[in-house]
Amino acid sequence: MKKQERALYSEEHKKYLKNIKIKKVLILSAQFGILIGILVLWETLTHFMILDPLFFSSPSRLIKTAIDMFATKEIYDHISVTVYECVLGFGISTIVGALIAIGLWWSDYLRRVIDPYLVILNSLPKIALGPVIIVLMGLGIKAIVTMAILICIIITITSVLNGMMSCDPDKILLMKSMGASKFQILYKLLWPYSIPNLISVLKINIGLSWIGTIMGEYLTSRAGLGYLIVYGGQVFKMDLVMTSVFLLCVMAAGMYLLVSLIEKRVYKSR
Amino acid sequence: MKIILCLDRVSHTYHSKLGETLALKDISFCLNDGEFLSIVGPSGCGKTTILSLISGLIKASKGQIVIDGEPVTTTNRDTGYMFQRDHLFEWRTIRQNITLGLEIQKKMTPQNLKMVDELIEKYGLKEFANNYPRSLSGGMRQRVALIRTLATSPKLLLLDEPFSALDFQTRLYVCDDVYNIIKNEKKSAILVTHDISEAISLSDRIIMLTNRPAAIAHEYVLDMQECKTPLERRECKKFGYWFDKIWKDLEKLENNQ
Ligand SMILES: Nc1ncnc2c1ncn2[C@@H]1O[C@H](COP(=O)(O)OP(=O)(O)O)[C@@H](O)[C@H]1O
Ligand SMILES: [Mg+2]
Repeated sequence: MKKQERALYSEEHKKYLKNIKIKKVLILSAQFGILIGILVLWETLTHFMILDPLFFSSPSRLIKTAIDMFATKEIYDHISVTVYECVLGFGISTIVGALIAIGLWWSDYLRRVIDPYLVILNSLPKIALGPVIIVLMGLGIKAIVTMAILICIIITITSVLNGMMSCDPDKILLMKSMGASKFQILYKLLWPYSIPNLISVLKINIGLSWIGTIMGEYLTSRAGLGYLIVYGGQVFKMDLVMTSVFLLCVMAAGMYLLVSLIEKRVYKSR
Repeated sequence: MKIILCLDRVSHTYHSKLGETLALKDISFCLNDGEFLSIVGPSGCGKTTILSLISGLIKASKGQIVIDGEPVTTTNRDTGYMFQRDHLFEWRTIRQNITLGLEIQKKMTPQNLKMVDELIEKYGLKEFANNYPRSLSGGMRQRVALIRTLATSPKLLLLDEPFSALDFQTRLYVCDDVYNIIKNEKKSAILVTHDISEAISLSDRIIMLTNRPAAIAHEYVLDMQECKTPLERRECKKFGYWFDKIWKDLEKLENNQ
């Protein structure tokens, strides 16, 4: 079917399709070009000691450190601790945040009571609560996850709630005129209506939960990539710092990809 | 003739921070079974309010509304509401959109579903039944919206300017379409519109409301039995007469503002 259609395209349309393809290749090659350019520049500058590799590390040292780290297996513990904290913070804040948003949608009264608190909490730099978190949660994973949750949850609540409130009031009236209960309006209208918004909330939360986790690990930790970065900084091992940052990038990209896959799945099934 | 709906001295006041708005004042009228009534009036006079009251979406401040002998207290299953826009749910197929009301009312019985499939077949939606709304034209979407309203078998249809979001060409055709389906299914209907020619081409009777607070200013019983469908009526001899008369009355009201 598809092939037949393609055969029917006019020359002009084929040209148009080809142009799109060329553009895509151009963009991809530019993206790779920049990456490789930076790596080459970095390597050359440090190789000829224009930049001191002690301060700036270098791609070759980065690779060597990574290989050493993976060889000792210790790195797996650090990675899994950080991923665990991040996934926990991400999961809890997304689910609890969405539930709170539903509660606030449900009760007009509650929403109006809570509103100023949300505004203030939203603009508060959460790191300021660091000492409070440590006193309440103790040193360790609990405190780190709490930090991640604090950073994600407010924005989750407000975006999910705004998403629900943006639904056309006439659609709600339509449901009501058919005799729908509040619960039916929620799961037959607002839930499916909100799915695209929920996916974008997920995407935002991935970034935020990484921020929260690393911030938490800076605050208090004995393991994890954030811990390695802090430790590397203290003992002046920039190779360790850079390698950990690089691993973080890979992990964050991986999680983002996962959500993109979910997104594709959801849109395909509709 | 059986009477299906009566409003008895219905008044309604909206309360908001800015003050109170008396929207309706002592509205009384009745509707016969199978009758098509239009309500026209200056914009903002309270037409939508009347429909909301009849459907039970809001409660009248004063007066009583009775449908088929039962006073209206909350949203009821006797009325089907059709809005200006179709409000089809994009994530549901055409058939799933049509069964929305049955789902809500927990009436997804085999008979009801069979009836839905008959409606879908009869009104030419079968080939789209499993498609999503985005593949339909504006006119088709409004037809689906009407079938969705009919699926719960209401006695009375409430149509709030259901054609005003369509372009002129489509409007004439959808108007004819909706009329034929409503007559075919032998439903009573109240149409709210500010388009006089639309009201004349569809109705047995027209009520004109005054400026806010709305009261009934005029009532016209259209004697146009010889021309049946809206498109025929637009060609009818008497069409011009009624149009002039109603247009002048409305003009007078609007100048009195
Ligand atoms: N929920 C509401 N709260 C306060 N005033 C309202 C509300 N709904 C409608 N009104 C007011 O009541 C009047 C009648 O409204 P409506 O019935 O929608 O008029 P129409 O449909 O004839 O244009 C308008 O002046 C409008 O501003
Ligand atoms: Mg209106």
